[in-house]
Amino acid sequence: MANLGEQLLNALTLAGLLFLVSAGLSLVFGILRVVNFAHGVFYMLGAYLGFTTVMLSGWFWPALVIVPPVVGTLGALIESTTLRFIYRRPPIYQLLLTFGLALILEESLRILYGPTAKGIEPPAFLQGALSLGSLLYPRYRLFVVALSLVVALAVWLFLRKTRAGLVIRAVAQNSEMADCLGADVARVRTLVFGAACALAGLGGVAAAPMTTAYLGMGISVIVDAFVVVVIGGLGSIGGSIAGSLIVGAAQTWGAFYLPETAMVIMYAVMGAILIFRPWGLFGEEE
Amino acid sequence: MRRRDFLHVAVASGVGATLGVPAFLRRTWAQGGPIKIGMPAALSGAYAQYGIQAKRAAELFSKDIKAKGVLGRPVEFIYEDTAGDPATAVRKAQKLVEKDGVKFLTGVALSSEALAVSAKCPEWKVIFMSTINGAGALTAKAFHRYFFRVNTSGPMGARAISLYLAEGPMKRFFALGSDYAWGRDSVASFTSQITAAKKEIAGTDYPPVGTKDFASYIAKIRQSKADGVYLALPGQDATIYLKQAHQFGLNREVKPIMEILELENMKAVGDAMVGAIGSSRYPFTVDTPRNKDFVKRFYELHGVYPDMFDGETYEGLEWLAQVIQKAGTDDVEKVIDTWEDSSYEGLEGPFFMRKCDHQAVQLGFAVEAVKDPKYPHPIPKILATYPGEKVTPKCRTEDFS
Amino acid sequence: MRGSRALAALALVALAVVPWVAARHQLSLLTDLLIYGLFALSLDLIMGYTGMVSFGHAAYFGLGAYASALVLIHFGQPVPVALLAGALLAGVVALPVGWFSTRATGIYFAMLTLAFAQLLYTLAYKWRDLTGGSDGIAGVPKTTLFWGGPSLASPQAFYALVAACVVLSLVLCRALVRSPFGHALEAIRENERRFTSLGRDPRPFKLVVFVIAAVFAGLAGALFAPFRGFASPEVMFWVFSGQGLMMVLMGGIGTLVGPILGAMVFILIQEVLSSYTEHWMIFTGAVFVLMVIFLPDGIVGTARRLRMRP
Repeated sequence: MANLGEQLLNALTLAGLLFLVSAGLSLVFGILRVVNFAHGVFYMLGAYLGFTTVMLSGWFWPALVIVPPVVGTLGALIESTTLRFIYRRPPIYQLLLTFGLALILEESLRILYGPTAKGIEPPAFLQGALSLGSLLYPRYRLFVVALSLVVALAVWLFLRKTRAGLVIRAVAQNSEMADCLGADVARVRTLVFGAACALAGLGGVAAAPMTTAYLGMGISVIVDAFVVVVIGGLGSIGGSIAGSLIVGAAQTWGAFYLPETAMVIMYAVMGAILIFRPWGLFGEEE
Repeated sequence: MRRRDFLHVAVASGVGATLGVPAFLRRTWAQGGPIKIGMPAALSGAYAQYGIQAKRAAELFSKDIKAKGVLGRPVEFIYEDTAGDPATAVRKAQKLVEKDGVKFLTGVALSSEALAVSAKCPEWKVIFMSTINGAGALTAKAFHRYFFRVNTSGPMGARAISLYLAEGPMKRFFALGSDYAWGRDSVASFTSQITAAKKEIAGTDYPPVGTKDFASYIAKIRQSKADGVYLALPGQDATIYLKQAHQFGLNREVKPIMEILELENMKAVGDAMVGAIGSSRYPFTVDTPRNKDFVKRFYELHGVYPDMFDGETYEGLEWLAQVIQKAGTDDVEKVIDTWEDSSYEGLEGPFFMRKCDHQAVQLGFAVEAVKDPKYPHPIPKILATYPGEKVTPKCRTEDFS
Repeated sequence: MRGSRALAALALVALAVVPWVAARHQLSLLTDLLIYGLFALSLDLIMGYTGMVSFGHAAYFGLGAYASALVLIHFGQPVPVALLAGALLAGVVALPVGWFSTRATGIYFAMLTLAFAQLLYTLAYKWRDLTGGSDGIAGVPKTTLFWGGPSLASPQAFYALVAACVVLSLVLCRALVRSPFGHALEAIRENERRFTSLGRDPRPFKLVVFVIAAVFAGLAGALFAPFRGFASPEVMFWVFSGQGLMMVLMGGIGTLVGPILGAMVFILIQEVLSSYTEHWMIFTGAVFVLMVIFLPDGIVGTARRLRMRP
């Protein structure tokens, strides 16, 4: 019984991190119709900036609070100086632009931090393991689960219940109409892109104590994020939640029972969804 | 000329100019110019830390050899970045050989790069000196005359730690190897040796390269009730495993045993890996006057302590220089003949270059990561040293007696 | 028109003369560039003429390389046999992959090609007995032109083979896009809905061009294996596909000859930059970003646009 509980928590932890990374990717696609290949690099940036913040302040909590807005601002800046000019072009251009941006950002991080991975310790309060019945589970992982749940709820509520969320959804559905109705579409796009990067950055900070901050984090996570977003549905937060849970569970149990074929199965599932239901489980048919 | 034609011609000229000056306008190289060593190393990308080690060692060696030179000639290093990609590695190596005229290639980081580049060396007639690559096949199936391996190979590393464990109290082992050539070969080598020592394998698993979350594997390892877990995971994967195993409290129950226990892990993981044991190809803590001097000079130049490949590359370069000096020429065929069956007093101990497969027979080290207040990160403490003959496999094979 | 014919003739003459004037390493580099150029050319068929963005094109290059490597190492056949094997394998695999992939459009098509390519990559990575796994297959020899024929081991001979293949491929592709089939492809690219509304099914067209593009990519890979002497999973990785897309963009999407040039410029920039600095990736990325924003038609595309100005 302890084993099942442990696996469940493992799956939730993984799903939580996946959600933080993929939610932003999904939103950017849904609203900007852009596939952001640089998304993984913002996640990596979050991890490295988290490391720096912890080094400077001696505390973990400031990283959680400071880093996402910083990463988000950088993202917004990049969007407004580069992506903004090419929205009208065929999607291949945006895709390739983000690809190029990813190269620049990744190499910049390498220059700033060097090739050795940077480790962070979780805050003292979250170190060690918590006793849950017969199971001993790391506290920090439980925190990650809780954090991602809170963020998921916050994002969902924001989009569904606030006026700003309504405007964003309007732009997603029909940007020209929204523009006619007075929405500042350019501003919405910049804000959404920035918010997506902030989410990815938060994911990076959260992941760093578990994986250290390392180069190659970005490429490693981007494919996972694509799988999640495809399964859940591009542009849907509910889809990102569902997709994260599915992929998290599949990777966790897959690693336990079929480590060598787990990835292959994931790609197969991704392929099947793209063929038969490309808008994913929760996306909207176009 | 119309603008469009101009653009075409401009680009074509640019391409042509970059390709260089036509052959018949080139000067012939002066005889007895500098001795050139090409280093197509992974200086960027995911494996940059290995290529950078090779470069660091070369920079120190360059400084050391500056006064005397070799055969009265200066030694010139030409670095190229392969980004850890075999196709780029071969392209860069080809450029080093054909354009820069190097006769020696070294510093190649990945085994896949090494296999590709080394396969071309008989055609180019240049020497490939491995100071990093562990793949057993390089001195077995893929061996050729122009290949020399100065470093401890993967099988040798597995052997050293297996010898140590054979004498120790641990009985049950789980083996975790990344699902690619080195991971699988290392686990195979370890399992065959440890079962020959009458110990038990509680389970094996092969996580994909680049695994970010080892939680499920940690659960399995705990369930297997093993005393120790043998890890054949590349640098970053090992770092992540060690960190997460520590967070699950597993390291206390199941001792991490690594085929490669390197400073890169210790710097990234920190105290969480104190107590881990494994094999080290070059532990900088070797207590000889030569090595202490080397470590001191290395630290002065680079501000960090030398890791495994820093040491092994330096040793390779020093040995190569000695061989060239002894041969009296940098002619490749003569250097090969001189190098075979020759000895060298390295930083970590004595080396002997076997003629049959060009593998350098050298000491094997079992080490443990310990905390030492003098250093900013854990360091490798030598637990046992094994003579070369005991840790080197039979000629052109990956098997031990 | 006369200008372009003269330029083409000039290019052919240059290609023919190179073995005599170039230094050895320049010849090697040019051979390398031409192989990548062929890869980019094949990608332009689907990208430029049908508007399909594929993130899995590298898989066909890889399949060509592996097939060629195995034929040359295990059967010692003349190189053209290996080329045929490579092109065939690529085409054969592209058939089912294309059949499935072309059921999707736009970004979903791109994702699907990515998924399939990753599957093939994983297969190459893990099927160690056949592909050598992560180590790949090294020691691929350059054999002969035909049974009992001249050896292709010399750099000049192999260069000639590669140059001939590239020129031939370019000629064939041009003929293809100028044919009625090619016009249908352009119609699909311009407005797929309209095409469908006129009562025609785009899918067979897309599938055919997908397979043809794969065949040429496989040819490029089949040339790569004996030239570089190895085949490894990295050439099948999606990052290489992405680089292919960049090469096409730099040269000019839809210009056929542009991507060949784009591939050469792309690799040369990296080569030159990486000799000067370890941080060449920043400059490559910057060049790329600037090109996307300011020179979206690529080198050749911009040149053609300028030419058409009154």
